[in-house]
This record gives sequence, C-alpha cells and structure tokens, in this order.
Amino acid sequence: MIESLLQNVDTLLLLLCAAGALGSAALMLVLQQPMRVAMALITTMVLLGAIYGLLGVHFVAAFQVLIYVGAVMVFMVYVIMLLEVRESIGARYSRLLVPGGIGFLVLLGVILISVWRPLPSATVEIGTTAYGIAAFSVSFLGEYWLLFELTSVLLVAAVVAALAVIRVGRVADERRRRG
Amino acid sequence: MLTAIVLLPLLGFVLNGVLATRLGGNLVGKRFVTVVGCGLPLIAFALVVASLVELRAGAYAPLVEVAYRWAQIGTSPFEVAFYFDRLTAVMALVVTGVGSVIHVYSVGYMKDDEGFGRFFAYLNLFLFFMLLLVLGRSLLVLFVGWEGVGLCSYLLIGFWFGDLANARAGKKAFVTNRVGDAGFLLGMFLLHQAFGTLDMDRINAAFGAATLPAVSASLVGLLLFAGASAKSAQIPLHVWLPDAMAGPTPVSALIHAATMVTAGVYLVARMSGIYLHAPEASAVIAVIGVATAFFAATVAVVQTDIKKVLAYSTISQLGLMFLALGVGAYAVAIFHVVTHAFFKACLFLGAGSVIHALGGEQDVRRMGGLARRIPVTFWTFTIATAAIAGIPPLAGFFSKDEILWFAFASTRGGSPVLWAVAAVTALLTAFYMFRLLWLTFLGASRMTPEVEHHVHESPLSMTGVLMLLALLSAVGGFIAVPQFLEAQLPLPALHEELHRFETPLLVVSVAIALVGLAAAAFLYGSGPARSDALRQRFPGLHRWLASKYFIDELYERAVGRPLVWVSDRVFLRFGDRAVLDGTLNGAAAIGRGSGWLLGRVQTGSLHVYVWLVLVGIVGSLLWSWRHV
Amino acid sequence: MDRTQLLIGVAVALFSLGLVGVIVRRNVLVMLMCMELMLNGVNLSLVTFAQQTGTTVGAVLVFLVFVVATVEIALAIPIVLLLVRDKRTLDLGAYNDLKG
Repeated sequence: MIESLLQNVDTLLLLLCAAGALGSAALMLVLQQPMRVAMALITTMVLLGAIYGLLGVHFVAAFQVLIYVGAVMVFMVYVIMLLEVRESIGARYSRLLVPGGIGFLVLLGVILISVWRPLPSATVEIGTTAYGIAAFSVSFLGEYWLLFELTSVLLVAAVVAALAVIRVGRVADERRRRG
Repeated sequence: MLTAIVLLPLLGFVLNGVLATRLGGNLVGKRFVTVVGCGLPLIAFALVVASLVELRAGAYAPLVEVAYRWAQIGTSPFEVAFYFDRLTAVMALVVTGVGSVIHVYSVGYMKDDEGFGRFFAYLNLFLFFMLLLVLGRSLLVLFVGWEGVGLCSYLLIGFWFGDLANARAGKKAFVTNRVGDAGFLLGMFLLHQAFGTLDMDRINAAFGAATLPAVSASLVGLLLFAGASAKSAQIPLHVWLPDAMAGPTPVSALIHAATMVTAGVYLVARMSGIYLHAPEASAVIAVIGVATAFFAATVAVVQTDIKKVLAYSTISQLGLMFLALGVGAYAVAIFHVVTHAFFKACLFLGAGSVIHALGGEQDVRRMGGLARRIPVTFWTFTIATAAIAGIPPLAGFFSKDEILWFAFASTRGGSPVLWAVAAVTALLTAFYMFRLLWLTFLGASRMTPEVEHHVHESPLSMTGVLMLLALLSAVGGFIAVPQFLEAQLPLPALHEELHRFETPLLVVSVAIALVGLAAAAFLYGSGPARSDALRQRFPGLHRWLASKYFIDELYERAVGRPLVWVSDRVFLRFGDRAVLDGTLNGAAAIGRGSGWLLGRVQTGSLHVYVWLVLVGIVGSLLWSWRHV
Repeated sequence: MDRTQLLIGVAVALFSLGLVGVIVRRNVLVMLMCMELMLNGVNLSLVTFAQQTGTTVGAVLVFLVFVVATVEIALAIPIVLLLVRDKRTLDLGAYNDLKG
C-alpha cells in the first residue's frame, strides 16, 4: 500500500488528515484545561473539513468550518473564557475512568466488527463525483423542502427557548440581588 | 302420597320459620304456630295410616314413589324416591304418631318461651328429615335425612344458646355424629362401587342372590354400623347423649328417646340383607350392644339429675336393641324400638312435667313427696317405669323378654354369656328406674320452701299426652310387631336343645324386675340413710360411676389435646403463618427487594447513565449478530 | 483496507471517543464538547455513505445535523450557565440531586 500511497497524493493526504483528526480527538480526552480541549476540538473539526473537501463535497466542507468552527466552537470558547476565570481547575477524570476505558475498547471492537464485514465494495470510487452546490440546492429545496421548513421551525423554537432562558436567568438574578 | 307425608312438616317449618320468628318480624301469634306446627304432623300421621291401608290392600307389595331425579352420572341415576313397606310403616307410624303428640305437649311446655315459633319450626324440620330418613329408598336419601336430623338435634340441643354450655353440648353432638358418618360414607362408597346403586331394596336382594357379591359383607356392615353407633349412642361414640339433655325436655323426648336415636337401629334392620351374610359384623354389633347396655346401666344408678338418669337409660335400652340386631332378631329390635318410644317418651315428658311443676329444678336430691301433689304425672310415670322395668303385662316386658330369649338361644350368635350380661342389665334397669321413682315422687319432701310453694299440676295439653303415652306403654306390648314384620324380617332359627329353657327364662325375667323393685324400695323407701351408708362404703366405685368412667376426660386427653396441638403447631403456625402468609409476604418482599435493587441504578450521576448507554449499544449490537 | 473502510473506521473511532469522553471527563463544558465530537463522527459516516451511493440525501442529512447541533449548543450553554450559578462549580460530581 505504501507504493500506492506514494503514487496517489490524494490518498496520502486523506490518511494524514484522518490520523490528525483522530489524534486531536484523543488529545481531547487527555488535556487538563478546557481551553486546550476546545483547541483540540477545533483542530479535529478543521481536519474533518479537509477530509470532506478531499472527498469532493466542497460545500459541506465549507459549512463545516463556517458553522461548526465559526459559530459553535467560538460560542464554546466565549463561555469557557466567561466561566473559567472564576473557577479553579478541578479534577480531570470521573469515577468511571477504568470502566470507561474498557467500554471504549469493547464498543470500538463491536461496532467495527458489525460495520466492516457487510460493507459493500465501492461501486463508485469515492472522490470522483463532485457535488456542485447548484445540484445540492436544487435537490434540497425541491425534493426535501419539508425538511428545510422544519429546520426553520426548529430555529424559531430555539430562539424562543433562548429568550425564555434569559428571562429565567434575569428573574433569578434579581431575586438573589434583593436577597 | 308418600311425598306429601314428607313435605307436610317441611311446609310447617317454612311457615313457622319465616312468619313466627324474628326473621319475618313476628307476624303471627302462638295460635297460628300451634295450629300449623301440630296440625301438619297430625295430617302426616293420617296419611301414613292411609298408606298402610293401601299397602295392605296391595298384599303388602312395597309402595314406591319417585319424587325427583337429582342427577344422572354415567349409567347411575341418583333419584329421590320413597319406599313404603312393612318396616317403613311401623317406623313412620311411630315417628309421626309419637312426634305429633310430643308437638302437642310442647304447646304447654314452651308456652312462656319467647322462641316459641322457632321451636316449632325446628321440630317440624326435624320431622321432615326423620321422615326422609325412614321413607327413603336409597341410602343417599337416608343419609340426607340422617344428616338433617343431626342438624336439627344440634339446633334444638342448643336452643337456649344464650348459655354457652348448651351451645357446646350441641356442638359435641354434631361433631361426634360426624365421626360416625365417616364410616357410613365409606360403607356407601363400597356399596355403590360394588352394585352401582344405592337403593336399599336392591342391595339387600343382591346380597341374597346366588353369586357372591364383590364386596365383603362384614366390612360394609361394620362401616355402616360405625355410623349407626354414633347416631344411636353406642360405645365409643355415646358421649354426646347425656350432654344433649341441655335441650328442652320435649326435644329429649322426641329426638333423644323415641325417634332419632333409633335411626341407627332402623338402618341395621333395613340392611338386614347385608347382616344376614356378615356373621363377624353381627357378632361385633351384639357385643358392643350388650356392653353399652351394661355400662350405661351402671352409670345410671348413681346419677342425680332426673334427665341424665333417663339419658343413660336410653343408651342402655339402645344397647339392648343392638344386641337383638346382633343375634339376627331384627324384628324384635324394631319391636323394642316401638315399645321404647312409648314408655321412654312418657318418662321424659313426665320428667318435663315434674321440672315444669317445680319451676326448673332437675336434681332428684331436692325432690320427693310429689305423688300427692301432682298425681297425674305420678301415675303415668309409674306406669312407664313399670313398663321399662319389664313387669308383665306392660309393653316393656314383652319386647325385653324377646330380646333376652333370642340373645340366649339364637343360632346366629346367641350365647348364655350375652344373656347373662343382658339379664344383669335388666336388673340394674329395674333398680335405677324405681330408685328414680322413689326419689322423685315418694318419701318425705326435700324441696326448698319456695319451690314447694310453687308446685302445681301441668295443663291438660301436657297431662293429656302423658296419659295417652302411659296407656300405650301399658297395652303396646300386645301389638304383635315381630309377627307383622315376619314376612319381611324373618326371625332367626333357635337352637333346638335350648327350647326347654324358654319358660324358666321367662320366670327369671319377671323375677329380675321384682327384685329390682324390691331393692329400690329397700334402699330408698325410708329416706336417704341407707343409700348414703352404701355410698360411704364404696366411695371409689361411686366416684368412678358418677364420673361416667372418666371417658370424656379420656377423649379430651387422647383425642382433643393432640388435635389442638396439631391445629396450633402444624396448621396455624406452620401451614398458615409460615407457608401461606410467608409465601405471600415473600412474594411482596421479592417485589420490594427488586424494586430497591433496581432503584439503585438511579445514582444521579450522569457519567453512569451515559456509561449505561454505551453498554446498551454494545448489547444490542451483540444481540444483532445472533438474531438478525 | 480501502478508503471506505478507513473512513468508516475513523468515524466510528470519533464517535466512540466522544461517548467515552462524556463518561470519563468531569468538567461540564468538556462533556459538551465531547458530544460535539460524537456528532462529527456521525457526519463523517454520513458523508462517506452519501458519496458511495451517489444520491444527495446524505448531504441533506448532514446539513440538518449542522442545524441541530447549532441549536443544541445555543440552548445547552445557557442551561449550563444557569446551573453553574447555583452550584458555583463546573464539576459534574456536584450535580447528583436527581438520584433515586
């Protein structure tokens, strides 16, 4: 496989990105400070975006970085900065470290065995079909328009919920201030 | 018509029981109860007489009437059928006749009792069951009547149930009878299995047939006798009858002298077909009968309650009846049933009259000198006493003499030993009966002043019945019952060489009666001094007899206490509490325990919950390998 | 091992790491980030299979997962903030009031 690797840059890059994503994901479990954990997660997400790009789904890669890293993780980082200033660094691991470790190995093994065996051989060589954004949008807004509408409903619900949470927060604050 | 005979008293029970008691709100008065309660049995008596006429017209072919088919199981039908032949006629006449007059007596005796309606309802119910017993064709119908009279006996013994002792006496009677019924039922099962029917006439015929039946006649005979011995108060199941005197005196007269206790005798006589082929069983019956007769007579000699003396006397006379049955003289036993009904009912009712006159006193040590104050009662009592003692030509002499003769000379088990014991019993009978007569009516008065002041003769409804029964006791012996029954219940053959003893034994019987009379007169004629001296000389013997040979205490120790122990230890503590309650509580505890165990899953820690999610995923994937 | 197997293996590994991270880490915010990791693993597998079959439904689903993840984070963080206000700690060991 090494020869084919060297011959095929695509595959090499894919391999590197995959290894990187896995590595930083593993780092997430090990690092002590939450900010560093967030950085590791951002690394994983960006590398995943790279993998998506290598696979040819460019717009999904773009959205991965835009939404996931740009919105979700930024929000996460803000909150960490907000909360961590006041808090001291607590313990790293819970009581279930050892059972968790064993569980991880078992889970990995079982899922891989379940999934790898019946995997169909690739009829279409991945990476060859380019998903244009035009084709995607037509399909999304045409065939799957219901799901599109549902997402907008979900977003509205989220906004309402966020407002409600703020309200609750305000009331609790005032009550505490009044004593 | 036979069905009508049986149902008329039942109608009386329903009417009186509903309308004249608290159940129906005491709607009717005593007159209604009297008319219904006494009238219906009298009508039944008339119908029995009419049936007898019909029987005679049909050359004594048995009348059969099927009233109701109860069930058909496989090939065996279970019917309620009535059967009227010579034996039935005799028994039914006694039951309805003596029963009716005792009903009339009760009108006067129970006049002031608030349970008047209830009493007559129960009496009528008793008559219904007794007629069912006597007229039934199959052993099943007889058994229904058997149990029913036991029930009525319980109800009537405990009639004044406010006093706990009365209720206990009723319970004792019922439980003792049930012990015998176990044997009776086993006998019935064996008979049904062997013959496929419980009709008594068919069973008797089957035993007399050429081929031997599949079941042992002696075994069946003994089992049926077990039931009879409980009902007729033979050893060892006699213990209930003395206690049954707790009931009102008409009850003692009707149930525990004239009719119910003779049901056992009737059963054996009816099933004579079996006993003719069961010499072992018959021997047992004869021995138990004569032993009971002797035992009861010895106890009666020292009793001080007027009704207890008569109770033991009844047990003794029943023993003599079974002696007659045991030696094959079935018709003679029935003859004694008839005469006994007359004079024993007269004695009991006379005792009731005495108790009524004395305002409730029953202890003979506090009586005496009543002869002149209550003459009718005295003379009727005397006639009945003479009858039971066997003084000719009164009724008791004829029947008792026949029993003694057959006990001596019958080829079916008669022996001089049986005769000797029976003769001693007869001597004791005469003695204690005249003793009773002397202590109650003659001599100086030992009554308390207020009781003495109260003494008065009973009303006509009571004395009229006494006179009728005394008359029957006097002339009843001339009713040739054995000869009437001979066509159905043949008398046993006699030993040829013993025929010459017939007249000497007759003379001995009369002599026994007179000796008993003389001994009683000697000991009790002139005050209590002589009898007291005799008691002082044999204190141990006196105590033994007065305590009825301590049999009740023996049963309590040997049977009662182990049963209580088993009930407490095995059934209550182990069976009920440990096993049943424990199982239920254990099931509940399992639920509770598993609930607690499962509750421990909820630790509140999110880490554990997510770890369980992981376990769940792994588990379902592993499951999918096998099954998908 | 071809590409499909590799990518699926990576996706499964990411998912498992995320799940175990939730079990193992104590800090609430770190647990939230591990849940995001799980979602990413699922996204990777979706994209791989979408590429393989050649239809667009896989991509649509990935898009929806994005939306849902965003909404989820947008609400989870405020809830965490409110909780932290009371307990004054981010340690999950303190949050066991709902135990049976």
